[in-house]
Amino acid sequence: MNGFHGRYWRFDLSRGEGEMVTIPETILRRYLGGVGLGTWLLHREAPANVDPLAPEAPLIFSFSPLVGTPLTTSAKLAVVAKSPLTGFISDGLSSSHFAIAGKRMGVDAIVLVGACAEPSELVLGALQPTRLWRKTPREADEALSKHGRVAAIGIAGENGVRFATISNDGRHAGRGGLGAVLGAKRLKALVVDGELPTPVADPKAVTRLARDLSKRSLGHATAKYRDLGTVANLAAFNRIAALPTRNFQRSRFDQGDALSAETLKPAREVARTSCASCTIGCEHVYGFGDEKRTRIEYESLFALGPLCGIGDPEAVLAAAGRCDALGLDTVSAGGTIAFAMECAERGYLPDAPHFGDAEGLLALLDDIAHRRGLGDLLAEGSRIAAERIGHDSIAFAPQVKGLEIPGYEPRALQTLALGFAVGARGADHNKSGAYEIDFSDRVDRLHGNARSAALSLETENRAALTDSLILCKFLRGVFDDLYAESAELVRAVTGWNVDGEELEALARRVVAARKAFNVREGWTPEDDSLPERFLSEALEDGPSSGARLTHERLQEMIRSYNLARGWSEQGYLPDAVMRDLSLEPSPADPTHAGPQVDP
Amino acid sequence: MHAGIVLCGGRSSRMGRAKAWLPWQGRPMVAHVVERLSEVVDEVVVVSSEQLDLPPLPARVVRDREPELGPLAGIREGLAHVKGELAYVTATDAPFLTPEFVKTMLSYGKAAAPEVDGIVQPLAAVYPRSALACASSLLESDRRRPLALLEAQDYRRVDAAELTGCEDAVRGFNTPEEYLAAVRTSGDDSPVVLELLGRAQLAAGRREIETPVGTLAEVLAAAPPELELVQEGRVARHHLVSIDGRSFLRDLRVPIGPGEHVIVLDASVGG
Ligand code: SF4
Repeated sequence: MNGFHGRYWRFDLSRGEGEMVTIPETILRRYLGGVGLGTWLLHREAPANVDPLAPEAPLIFSFSPLVGTPLTTSAKLAVVAKSPLTGFISDGLSSSHFAIAGKRMGVDAIVLVGACAEPSELVLGALQPTRLWRKTPREADEALSKHGRVAAIGIAGENGVRFATISNDGRHAGRGGLGAVLGAKRLKALVVDGELPTPVADPKAVTRLARDLSKRSLGHATAKYRDLGTVANLAAFNRIAALPTRNFQRSRFDQGDALSAETLKPAREVARTSCASCTIGCEHVYGFGDEKRTRIEYESLFALGPLCGIGDPEAVLAAAGRCDALGLDTVSAGGTIAFAMECAERGYLPDAPHFGDAEGLLALLDDIAHRRGLGDLLAEGSRIAAERIGHDSIAFAPQVKGLEIPGYEPRALQTLALGFAVGARGADHNKSGAYEIDFSDRVDRLHGNARSAALSLETENRAALTDSLILCKFLRGVFDDLYAESAELVRAVTGWNVDGEELEALARRVVAARKAFNVREGWTPEDDSLPERFLSEALEDGPSSGARLTHERLQEMIRSYNLARGWSEQGYLPDAVMRDLSLEPSPADPTHAGPQVDP
Repeated sequence: MHAGIVLCGGRSSRMGRAKAWLPWQGRPMVAHVVERLSEVVDEVVVVSSEQLDLPPLPARVVRDREPELGPLAGIREGLAHVKGELAYVTATDAPFLTPEFVKTMLSYGKAAAPEVDGIVQPLAAVYPRSALACASSLLESDRRRPLALLEAQDYRRVDAAELTGCEDAVRGFNTPEEYLAAVRTSGDDSPVVLELLGRAQLAAGRREIETPVGTLAEVLAAAPPELELVQEGRVARHHLVSIDGRSFLRDLRVPIGPGEHVIVLDASVGG
């Protein structure tokens, strides 16, 4: 088979044994790799209603047909599991040499099940006790990289923080607490390497397409990422009053200038780097403190800065570096702490720091990772914390389905508000690119409607395809027709006679499969919503002043979205859609015959 | 008791942007018109479409449920919400409307409309609240011209010559050129501010550039040419342009009024 190995490696940590399991070519063609294949495997491997932190819960590293080719930004993997933060699907993407090395083991995915009896590391198939427990992901990487490429958790993952990350090459599969799943399996690190290249159908065409894509990746469409990085969003969002500030109480931050890319770049930028196999290089590294340096993305900057009322770049960069070292998702960490800060303001949490307290923020990050004091409560995420705090604080816990909301004010970007509400992973700017629609002349960003629903859905489909190919979303602007051009790549790599239409259908299938998993795990229409704050309070600041999003308007958009997807009005999947998913029953199902084992 | 009704649900297609938001004498046009009306009527109702958000107004804002039926549906919606016996109805683009003119029109005590250059002006006219049922039945029988409603009311036709300020009261603007010409004679010489963010700011080495009012093309031409803000007759794909951070636009013909800020952002904002 070209582009694939046609199998996954299933390793049972309880037994210390692995096996190769065949993946039918029909499934690969219907799901490709990354998020698509990972979702299909999650359906297959996760027992229904499994506790995400139980040994039986699988953790899946899913590669893709493009991994290992010279196509720019293709060195990516998806990490897929049932999220301990949301109870629904979590599928984080990460870019690194880990993807290339993992696929060279001769597999399209790695599935970890079971749990180790003691803190361990899995190095090239050998499970052994680890001395790296309590070390940072970087320290784990340094200690193990002589064996191969490393994915590791930090202290937060070891302690079951529900928003802990899995780190590789300094990048993170960040959202939804995948690190806690690995931590519950008592696996500090997974090290992979191999010798098996993946053949491609038409090497000449792949080389030509790779050269062409690299050239286009250096054009205008990606210039923002190269010149300023995602941090450029901060000043733009602040200007239009869409920058979540002080736990979404405001949409403009008066100290925003100090944190903008326009200020940080000339004053602090020390380097620009890139993920493995990427020609764009969007990672901007800034200096702070006593010759320290850290990479920072907009999401970390907003969450640890304006959202917590902190405008000192030194403090925000230090906090971002601390999250990396502890293995914490910066968006959920910032969101949960900002929520605690508002609780402090209202007198519900007297021990929490107040908005603007940078030292308090840094101390609390450590307390969360170690589950000390108030940190133990906040390690559960803002939704569970709100349930325990009471006082109706759930109304302003900044989360959807338990996942903290990224740096886009939903009332100011109402097409994206819909994307957040219906997101299978929760509030998710990576799976719905609907902000692109809000930042256009196609809708009124302050006034979502049924048209927003149709447009939002298209961005979700496109994201499902790029996440299954996998290519970096920052390439999106270089494609005139994502489906047709992706089909050309897939044809050259796999030799399949696919066209754009087939890939569009595949994208819709991936979205439906993610939803189907949630339905299986107990999703109800009430889960597709936004916290009460967003549906009852109007914005006050700048150009977004007066913007409000009502229950009725959101419901109308959700209804339009569901119908446009061909689902029921409430969002359930009809039989025809379910049949198209080619799902196999979970191994926990008594009628399940078990995985088909490669002889 | 008298009422004023401002209709702003129209599509403003030739203008390229909502007329209600066009600046006039330091505020959005709709705010200006509401203020002028408020000087002589007891209540003002603004009829807007579901798609159009309006600035904060000292008026009751109602939504036209059937904007596709044209201005008569807006008049019907307005009449359904006024308390006064008589209502002066105006389009939102009535910059030169005077309180005296409205007062005179209402003084006839019945439906009344001015005639300018031989044309009756139903969107600068007085309608009795009792015309509501008639407006509904006209719409039901697919007769959508507001003039039909006036005709059904035995209205008073007022010759322009009888009224000072009449021609101005009915003078609006449908195109960018008409609006910009009116601005240039209005005495308001506040500049447009071109705000550069992101890469444009770094490349230009400055954050703001002041420039006279004009079309978006004229305003963007004030930026250093190396920014290449315009390509192939449209805003370049790698940039986004917003008026005051509310709406985003690509059409270079739209007018930018006094005091407005045109914000230039990198196109791949987000993500
Ligand atoms: S553009 Fe940025 S995020 Fe995407 S692959 Fe390149 S360096 Fe990584």
